[in-house]
Amino acid sequence: MRKYLSLVKMLFVQQYKTRVTSLPGKKRRFGSVMLYLLMAVCFAPLLISVAVAMYYMGKFSQGDLYVGTFLMLACQGFVLMFGVHSIMSNVFVVKDAERLLFLPVRSPVIFFAKLTVAYLNELLTSALAIAVALVPFGLGAGAGVGYYLTLPAALFLILLLPMLFGSIIAMPLSALVTLFGKNSAIKTILRIVIYVLIMALYMYVMYSFGFLTGSENGNFLDNPEVVIKDLMDGFVERLQSVMPYFHSDYMLMMCMLATNAGEWFVGMALTLIENFALLAVMFAVSLPFYRKMLAMSVEGSGSSERRGKKTYSVKNRGVVREFIRTDVKRTLRDPQVGFQSFAGLIMMPVIVVILYFFMGLSSEGDSSFLEFIGITPLYQVIAPLVIMAYMTFLGCSTNVLGLYPVSRENRSLYILKSLPVPFGKILLAKVLLSTAVMLTGDFVSCVLIVALFGIKWYYGLAMLATMALIGFGSMCICTMLDLRQPKIGWDNFNQGLRNAKNSWIAMFIAFLCVLSLVIVSVPFVVLYGLTDGEGWYFSLCMWIMDLALGVGFAAVTYKIMNGKASKYFDRIEV
Amino acid sequence: MIKLYNVSKTYAKSTVKAVDDLTLDINAGEIFGFLGPNGAGKSTTIKMLTGVLTPDSGTIEIDGVNLADNPIAAKSIEGFVPDNHEIYDTLKGIEYLNFIGTMYGMPTELLKQKIAEYAALFDLTEALPNMIGSYSHGMKQKLSIIAAVIHDPKVWILDEPLTGLDPQSAYQLKQLMRAWADRGNTVFFSSHVIDVVEKVCDRIGIINHGKLVAVDTLENIRADGKLSLEDMFLTITSDGERK
Ligand SMILES: Nc1ncnc2c1ncn2[C@@H]1O[C@H](COP(=O)(O)OP(=O)(O)OP(=O)(O)O)[C@@H](O)[C@H]1O
Ligand SMILES: [Mg+2]
Repeated sequence: MRKYLSLVKMLFVQQYKTRVTSLPGKKRRFGSVMLYLLMAVCFAPLLISVAVAMYYMGKFSQGDLYVGTFLMLACQGFVLMFGVHSIMSNVFVVKDAERLLFLPVRSPVIFFAKLTVAYLNELLTSALAIAVALVPFGLGAGAGVGYYLTLPAALFLILLLPMLFGSIIAMPLSALVTLFGKNSAIKTILRIVIYVLIMALYMYVMYSFGFLTGSENGNFLDNPEVVIKDLMDGFVERLQSVMPYFHSDYMLMMCMLATNAGEWFVGMALTLIENFALLAVMFAVSLPFYRKMLAMSVEGSGSSERRGKKTYSVKNRGVVREFIRTDVKRTLRDPQVGFQSFAGLIMMPVIVVILYFFMGLSSEGDSSFLEFIGITPLYQVIAPLVIMAYMTFLGCSTNVLGLYPVSRENRSLYILKSLPVPFGKILLAKVLLSTAVMLTGDFVSCVLIVALFGIKWYYGLAMLATMALIGFGSMCICTMLDLRQPKIGWDNFNQGLRNAKNSWIAMFIAFLCVLSLVIVSVPFVVLYGLTDGEGWYFSLCMWIMDLALGVGFAAVTYKIMNGKASKYFDRIEV
Repeated sequence: MIKLYNVSKTYAKSTVKAVDDLTLDINAGEIFGFLGPNGAGKSTTIKMLTGVLTPDSGTIEIDGVNLADNPIAAKSIEGFVPDNHEIYDTLKGIEYLNFIGTMYGMPTELLKQKIAEYAALFDLTEALPNMIGSYSHGMKQKLSIIAAVIHDPKVWILDEPLTGLDPQSAYQLKQLMRAWADRGNTVFFSSHVIDVVEKVCDRIGIINHGKLVAVDTLENIRADGKLSLEDMFLTITSDGERK
């Protein structure tokens, strides 16, 4: 037990440790606090709107047990998508094997310690999100004190199911990935594709419960209460047949919503037993797998690689080209970095498609709706703007390649510093690469938007140009930030970098960009609306202004980055 | 060939000078051995010589080129073998060499020829198509060595190059260092292994707590008295400890 606890402590603390290798600024602490405050302010609207939605969900369903369970399940799905997937794969990524294996500790203990750390990480990142959903639900439902008293326990228990799923998914995933072989680049791509598929599946399942479908009782405006009640009844009916199968959640919710001690007790006891069983199953199932991964990592997969092609053409292709080539190979072949770097690229188009289904534009063969809306002039002005704002935010904040150009190098950064290549060229190669990746994602998304949303192609083009310019600008800022204080010496890309301050800053910058885009555009949209869609020149002006904003932003940030980059680079101590 | 004038360096996160007012002049055609206890500042000095770290003060000249003013020209006549083995794990050995060769602006044909030549010398040809991640410690070390010499540097800088090498490779490396210096180039290397230093070097320098405490040729040291290099090293460096 003592070994286990000290292992947990060591692993947990260690993952956040990187060697920051540049001069720290004086006002750092204050700056960070301000940053987090700003972030809180920016994200408040999102959190508040989720909370409000949950409140009404609780209110209209009157604290229905099935709806509550559904909510819990949705939270678990969310956790599975955005947290557990990467965290679980990190339990099985056994880079630290050699540092742990020689310890006089049995491997189940090590594995259990790693699981615990993963669990703690997950708790840290998703407890808030779950609380934001469950507390307002309880308020809306008018739940008793017991609900809130049980909530902390629930936060702990809710995570177990997604972790079980995560570890179960991780196994066939890596088996499949190994099946496909020697080429680690293909493995990374495969991993991303599978991830996207799982995500789409989640969206589809959630969507299929269709909260908003199936009212026959006429007009919402005439008679809102009846319609809502109708919707809710249909919803509950659909849930009734499914939710009890998620028995541990069902019991947990029952316990939380209990009105008497007996119910609470039964619910609590059952959910504890079931969750414990889940944990045991997870442990039993994945321990052998962990052992196999360990054995593989220590013994190496040299044998399979020896069979690989022996031909490789030695060729001088010029500094920048060679640099980009090796950079792509290195990131793609690195399972952690590769996934993070290229998942964003695929994510954007997928989200466009999902959005398409969600907005019901595809529903019931009703293509006439899209045709109708497509010729509405205002739609052609507003829709691209909204989608663009959304995609800019997404694209800028998930561009991992651009976010960590230097930290990505990790301990081998000294190589770049000792090469007789001006840093400007290295920077150019890095920026070119991440711009290219970003542009590809943008391009595919724009094509999809034009095709699916019936938006005119020239608007699509304008969107693409604006998005590319703004994306480039935000990337310049991120590059500069990373250069200023790179994080070097990480073992776990996710924990060490992905969640670091820069990601938040990137998101914040993206947010500001979107905000300025909206501010610039809205007056024109209003003017356009006032002219009843006759004033096409307003729409033209809007795009010109947006583009000008993009050009200005890109130019200014590029200039700043170029001016500072090499100084920052020289300062880094490797 | 290598000149350091009053070079000092303090790491950002520390208060002690890792290298303190170091002045050194190393000639062409010589193998210079850099000795010192752990944490003395050897690696720090070497990193400054190769442009990985920027000195706080002082100047460094490589073959008459000021490293601070003209880093590209200075770096392109250097070859660097670091003491850690953090090479790009997800590249194949051959891809890494191709990358390095390109960065040093080598023409394709020459690059091919050099890679073949040195890979054969260090018995690494077989392993070149494999991922660097699958290499052993010594194999990575050899790859680093090859990467540092393919562009025929005038100044060859090695940080503890012999650790981890098998006897054959260690022998080859020592031969290569000798041949390098005999062609009028300079070899600068740090080591803990006094026997090796004694056998290979023309001149040695001893550094302790960031300060250069002795520089001399081996002949002088031998002629000087009865002290062996080992004794001398131990006396000089233990003085610092006692203070
Ligand atoms: N990245 C760093 N940040 C802060 N201090 C450092 C860093 N690297 C080295 N030092 C400090 O600088 C001093 C000199 O270290 P250096 O690595 O140059 O020693 P060395 O002579 O190479 O030792 P060894 O023989 O162990 O390789 C030491 O006191 C060390 O603590
Ligand atoms: Mg050292």
